[in-house]
Amino acid sequence: MLLYLSHDLLQTATMASQPDIRWRIPSGQRLLFEDFDDGIVMFDALVGATHLLNATAAEALAIIQSEPGLDTGAVHARLVERLAIGTDALPVAAVDELLWRLEDLNLVGGFIE
Amino acid sequence: MTVGELSSESVRTRLAREGLALRIPPITVRLRSPLGFLADQVRTLYHDYEFADSAAYADIDIRMLAGAGARRWTRRQVQFVVDGVTPFEPFPVEHALPMFEWGLNWVVSHRLHGHLLLHCAVAARNGRALLLPAWPGSGKSTLSAALACSGWRLLSDEYGVVALDDARLLPFVRPVALKNESIEVMRAFAPDAFIGPLFPKTRKGTVAHLRPPQDSVRRAGEAAVAGAIVFPDFQHGEPTSVKRVPASPAFLKLAGNAFNYEVVGEPAFRAVAALVRNCGAWVLRYGDLASARAALDDIMHQSSP
Repeated sequence: MLLYLSHDLLQTATMASQPDIRWRIPSGQRLLFEDFDDGIVMFDALVGATHLLNATAAEALAIIQSEPGLDTGAVHARLVERLAIGTDALPVAAVDELLWRLEDLNLVGGFIE
Repeated sequence: MTVGELSSESVRTRLAREGLALRIPPITVRLRSPLGFLADQVRTLYHDYEFADSAAYADIDIRMLAGAGARRWTRRQVQFVVDGVTPFEPFPVEHALPMFEWGLNWVVSHRLHGHLLLHCAVAARNGRALLLPAWPGSGKSTLSAALACSGWRLLSDEYGVVALDDARLLPFVRPVALKNESIEVMRAFAPDAFIGPLFPKTRKGTVAHLRPPQDSVRRAGEAAVAGAIVFPDFQHGEPTSVKRVPASPAFLKLAGNAFNYEVVGEPAFRAVAALVRNCGAWVLRYGDLASARAALDDIMHQSSP
């Protein structure tokens, strides 16, 4: 069973029990990317919305789309590897913040198994 | 046979009876109306357009009818009826032609979802299209009229009709709607161009229509490859300046300018991406037509393959 949680509810849950939050693209969602020299444009095929992303956000979405169910730490590890940067340049807290911002846009969903 | 080859009486009779099925690629529009003066105006502005047999299928059926409400006793009105539906309040009868033109635009932007429809003027030279995407008031109609009167091929003053399979631009050649000051600007810029009657006090001010060049109408079946995207920005009295727009903001501006991007969905996203990849994008700020035309010539030259 998957339990999808809103940001506020999940923050409360995090403080109370430190749940192992995992990320996936919401059911029915499909993300298309076009990579230009100055940025990445992404199309949310479910609702027809277009977003301008930086490389970190686009890579995070691509990672979650290809490997649903990763937790924040695993997304962070793959991002650091793909972007070929050090963890000091991209702390876990920044990835956590990024994932919640993507969740605000309904591009990813956080859940607890 | 073209509309202009019919006599005035014949056009009036056709409009009043079976209708005149205008070939306006990529569609055919049947117009019916008992209004004789409208028939004369249509004959003048659509002079070089072919028409279909009266029994031929028409994609859109429009009737411009004299209003039937109580106000017809105090002020004559005209109704726009499309496929039996009356989507608008009536206009004063003397505004029948602008209402036909605006109404047809409205129908097209609500129905032509087999293509991506950009709110965009398009002109071509040497088979390469210049896209001028802009919202009303940016001068795209005036600019496209100036190009059409300067040897460019007019594809549209209002619609960038983009084929979804190869992102080529399909012509949708119509009379160019000029508004207010731009009418006299165009008269001065191209004294030989044919501009139809003035329609004062419309909802958009005074309106007149420039008849599209005969060559543009005859070649309305020829698509063009996109060559450059220029976002025009008319600023009265300002010197002309050109600024490059990077790809991703150009994408967002172009997609945000479309009539049906969300409706068409993924193919529209792919088409906009292809346009931005294949062409450079610029913002053109201008205050006069001659220098704007020169700047557009330079841009097309720069962006030649």
